[in-house]
Parts: sequence; C-alpha cells; structure tokens
Amino acid sequence: MGKILCATRGGEASFRTQDAAIARAKETGNELVFLYIYDMEFLAYAKYTLRSDVVSEELDRMADFLMTMAVERAEKEGVQARYVIRHGDFYKELASAVKEGPTSLVILGRPAEEESRFEVEHLQELARSLEKETGVPFCILPE
Amino acid sequence: MKAPNQKPFMAGHKYLPYLSLSLIVGLWLVARFNPPQTAIAASRGVAGHVSDEQGEPVGDAELRLYVNESREPVAETRSQPDGTYLLVLGEEEAVSSVYIEVERPHFQTYTWSPSREELVTLLEQGSFVTHDIVLERRIVASFWVVMLIFVGMLAIIASERLHNTLAALLAMVLIFGFSLVGGTFFPDLFVFSFEQALEYIDFEVIFLLLGMMIVIGVIEETGIFQWTAYQAYRLSHGRVWLLVIILMSITTVASALLDNVTTMLLITPIILEIALALKINPLSLVLPALLAANAGGLATLIGTPVNVMIGSYAGLSFNDFAVNQTPGVVMAMVGLMIFIQLYFWKEYHTASAGPSPALMKRLEENGRIRDMAKLRKGGIVFIGLLILFVVGERFNLSPAISAIAGAVAILLWVRPDIRQMMGVVDWTTLVFFISLFIVIGAVQEVGLLALISEWLGRIVGTSLIGALLLIVWVAAILSGVIDNVPFAAAMLPVVQFLTRTIPGAQNYALYYGLAIGADLGGNSSLIGSSANLVVAGITERAGYKISFRRFLQVGLPATLVTTAIGCLWLIIHFL
Repeated sequence: MGKILCATRGGEASFRTQDAAIARAKETGNELVFLYIYDMEFLAYAKYTLRSDVVSEELDRMADFLMTMAVERAEKEGVQARYVIRHGDFYKELASAVKEGPTSLVILGRPAEEESRFEVEHLQELARSLEKETGVPFCILPE
Repeated sequence: MKAPNQKPFMAGHKYLPYLSLSLIVGLWLVARFNPPQTAIAASRGVAGHVSDEQGEPVGDAELRLYVNESREPVAETRSQPDGTYLLVLGEEEAVSSVYIEVERPHFQTYTWSPSREELVTLLEQGSFVTHDIVLERRIVASFWVVMLIFVGMLAIIASERLHNTLAALLAMVLIFGFSLVGGTFFPDLFVFSFEQALEYIDFEVIFLLLGMMIVIGVIEETGIFQWTAYQAYRLSHGRVWLLVIILMSITTVASALLDNVTTMLLITPIILEIALALKINPLSLVLPALLAANAGGLATLIGTPVNVMIGSYAGLSFNDFAVNQTPGVVMAMVGLMIFIQLYFWKEYHTASAGPSPALMKRLEENGRIRDMAKLRKGGIVFIGLLILFVVGERFNLSPAISAIAGAVAILLWVRPDIRQMMGVVDWTTLVFFISLFIVIGAVQEVGLLALISEWLGRIVGTSLIGALLLIVWVAAILSGVIDNVPFAAAMLPVVQFLTRTIPGAQNYALYYGLAIGADLGGNSSLIGSSANLVVAGITERAGYKISFRRFLQVGLPATLVTTAIGCLWLIIHFL
C-alpha cells in the first residue's frame, strides 16, 4: 500500500484539491500525506536584509497551522492523514518528496489565474517529467 | 635672605601644577577666542559670504585677491562650508587698485572690484570691507551627465532590474568616473572630488539606523509581536471589528517605534492563522494591519528611514516629531480605522464559531513569548532608549548617539552572539544610504536641485498652503511608484529652499509634509513599500494572493483618506 501525496498551500483555493485527495484516500485506503512546500524568495523584495532564520521559524508555524487544518478536514471524513513541511524550490522539493517513499499517486491543484503563483504549463511539464522518471501517476485537478 | 626667598618658592612649587594648568587653560582660552579678531583688526582685506542665487551658502569656492593689475594674487582662500571667506591684504603692499576673483565648479566666475569709497576705507583706514558674493549657476556637461545617472538610478530601482543598493553603488561609481577621470580631460565633467563627496554623507542617519538595527535584532527574537497579536485575539472575544482595531493599533505602535517590515514579517503569519480560525478571509485582517504599519512609521523620528533623514537634515528632534507629527498620525489612524470598518463591514460580520481545540492549541503555542529573559532585558533597554531619545537632546545626545548607546547596552546585557548580531546589521542598507547620499550630493552640486527649487518656488509663489499641498501630494503619488528614500533625499534641499523663502514656512511644516507624503504614499500600491511585497509573499504562501489590483482597491482609498487627514492636521497645526 502506497501513499497519496497532496501538495497544498492551505488556502480556500486549495480546499477542492484537499477534498479530492481525501476522497481518493477514502476510496483506495491509501495513506494520505499533505505536502506543504515553501520558499523565501519573497524576502528579496524587501529593500532591507531580514533575518531569514526568524522568518523561517514563523513560516514553519504558519505551515503547521495550515496543515493541521487540512488534517482535520480529512479526519472529518474518517481519513487518517499526516503532513510534511519542506523548504526550498517547489519543483525540486516535490520531486524529492515523490522519490522518497512508496507513493501511489500525487495530487496537485490546477493553479488558478488570480490566486496562484504557479503556471499551469510548468506544473504539467513537471508532472509529465516526474511521472516518466518515477512511474508515479500525477493528477492535476481540472478547472 | 635665602630662607625667606625659598619659602615662597617652595610654596609656589606646591601650586605649580595648578598654575601650569591654569596657564594652559588661559592660553587656550586666549587662543580660542581672541587672536582672529586681533589679527583682523591689524590687517586690511575683504571678508564676506558666498552664496548661490537661492541664498544657499557656497562652500569651497576659490577666492583670489589681486592688487595693482597684477596677474599674481596676493591672497588666496577658500570659502567655508557656511559660505564665509576672509582675504587678508598684507601691510607692506602699496595698493592702487584691488579686485577679487571667485571660481567654483558649476558657477560662473565672478569678479569684484571695490567702489571708490570701499577702496578708500580699505587702503586708508586699514580695515576690512565686507562684501557678499552671489554666484550664478553654470549648466555644463556634468549637469546633464549627473541628471541622466540619477534618473537612470531611479528607473533601475523602480523596475527592480538591480537591487537598490547595487543601483546606488553603480550610480556613485559612474559619477566618480565621469567627475574624476572624465574631469581630467574635460574640466566641464568635474562634479566633485572624493573628499568633497564624503561631506555629503549624513553619518547621523547611518549611525541611527545601525543602532536601531541591533536593538530590533534582539527584540524580534522574543516573540513579542506574535504574543500581542494573540492577546488581541483573546481580548476581542471573536468580535472581528474590535480585533482589527487592536491589531491596527499594535502594528501602528510597533512600526512607530521599531520598523514596519520587521513588524509585519513577524505578525502576518499569526494574523493569518487568527483569520483562518475565525473562518474569515485572512486578507481582511492582514491588509488593515499592513496599512496601519506603513502609516504608523510616520509618527516618530525613528519610525521610517525617510523620517530619520528628514530629522537629521532639518535638525528635528524626537520630541519635535512627537509634538508636530504624532497627533496627525493618530488622527489619520482613526480615519483609516473607520474606512477599514466600512470597507470590510460584510467580512467582519460573517465570522463564525471559534477554531477546533487542535487549532486553538496551535494558535496559543504560536502566540507565546519565545524568550522571556531576553524580552525583559530587551524591553528595559528599549524603554531606556526611548527615554534617552526624549531627554537626550538636553545633554547634546543626538538620536544617533542614543541609538548606538541603546545597541551597546542591549549587547552588553543580553549578551547575544556578537557575530550573529553583526550579521543582523543590514550592511546592504547602510551601503545603500552612503551611496545614495553621494549621488544626491552630486545632483545638488551640479545645480539640478537648485533649478527644481526655483521652478517649484515660482509655482507656489509665497503660498505656504500651496507649497504644503504640492509637496504632500507629489510625494504621496511618487512614493506609490518609486522608492521613497531616494525621492525624499533629493527633495530635502528643495524643501529647505522653500522653507527659507516662503513666508511662514520657517516652522518646518514643509518637512513634515514631505514625511507625510513620502510615508503614506507607500500604501497606495503594492510596490509602494517593502512591507507590502513581503506580506504579499507570506499570504501567497498560504494560498491567499494579494494581486496588484486587489491591493490597489483598498490601498489607494486608504492613502487618500490618511493623506488628506495628514494635510488637514498640518494646516490646523502650522497655519
């Protein structure tokens, strides 16, 4: 039995992706793992240098909170779930997380025009390339 | 006879050190206060003041005194930074005619000969003639070169092609290249020497920022921002309208006393969590807190780099800001809070039940003080520092010295890793300011700012209200699209000119107007302030993107409200 990896940010726009992953986990009985990846590229926008260690600690706490919400959502549906928080480039970290364990499916939300920082084409390209490399199927939810 | 003679000598010997000290002090006092007058009284010559057409003193002008149609000057000097000069004519000269030649890069060469009466006074009465010199500007190649470099630097910073520090460094190096290397071959390219350029660096600003960076570096680790936000959540008992007022008050005060970017960086994640716990859109809490943080910095001398620069340039103290600016900011904040309540009315009244026990536990953990001992020590030092800012000027302690003293006190008492704390100091920013001051110095040197001053002076005439409204709104609009620090730095000499020439402006109202426009303007667009972009980065990582349009919808009207109230305050207070 593998795990279903659901890459999510935690906002309202991610709820549909989380729900789809929860439904699939319930259906297959696979373990559900929410994956939260963040980078701190936005600190480059600051005119002044900021404490990346202090910022990272705060973002970790925020990620904990967001992922606790996702886990609660799954538990409400009777699905046991856990979460993993990773720092760094989204594409590299996702690839690394997929390769780490016996993953049976990766679920990604389709980036919305306004709300997401990812481009659909990039995500599709990454999914295709990782599918080929690892043999793990990727599911990008349709609009 | 010897014994009686020896006794007084021995007695005198006992007091010798005191007598010597008295003699040295006496000589120093005589040398310090008397000789120049004595020398002047015994000599003939010309003294006076060199200024430009705006009445600004012109330092470093080369003055040469010629007599009897000779081509060799008999006396030479350079004007002081305050524009004063003194040319002494030797006693031995048999003089039939006198003239002075004044040369200064970027100005027309000036020649002066005394009138018949002045010449008689000079030659027969053996005294000084006072003559004030007004130099006319000369637009030469260096003017256009420096203007292009300055505009290019602003464009690069605005377009984010380079980091602002790198852009300022590049501009500085180009100016030195043209001035020193180019000036060797084409004198019209000369702007200033390296030594003259260094005089434009405002070390008061550099040291104040340095000190505050260290103090903030210690305080930000304590968890105080997160704790206050969590307490706001507890106190509001689920009433979001009240919660947002408390959060806005917290970010206002924190930004006024510390720094808006640090405040928002540390408080945004927990505000976001609180909003999710209340099941409302996080942006309805984060955006008001952000707008308040940007506006709050305006309240004090140390609140924003722009205020630090204005305070140092105009000689305004911490107390001056507290008396003349803080009440206006309080008024603007009340206006902003009312606007926010109306804007997010629907959102604030749809909050549902509280979070689950698991989320509540997380929230409580995230809102804890991280290091109580550090907070206690850091807090005491910080309060001491605030007291020093208030009373320091009575003891000739400038804000920069107070800030450095606070930084040293916190380092000595809290004893953090000194290497880590030096890493906390944002050298990038300090280098940015040093480079920027030199670039602005070049802009000033070639006469660009004098031209702008004259042009603005013609537009506003003698109307203080006109000047005030123009400065506030131009600063507010431009700060929404370009970096407000170089803009404010360039505007300082312009504001100084208007303050001197407009009747009634000597109360520094225009400086406060510049601060209001430059600081509040950052709220008008997403790119108007670093804090906006940093907060947008955090909320985006939680799945709540703040687009340019989304920010504009709330930020622009908020800027209009707060800037209008700020103007109103200045008019009520100063006019």
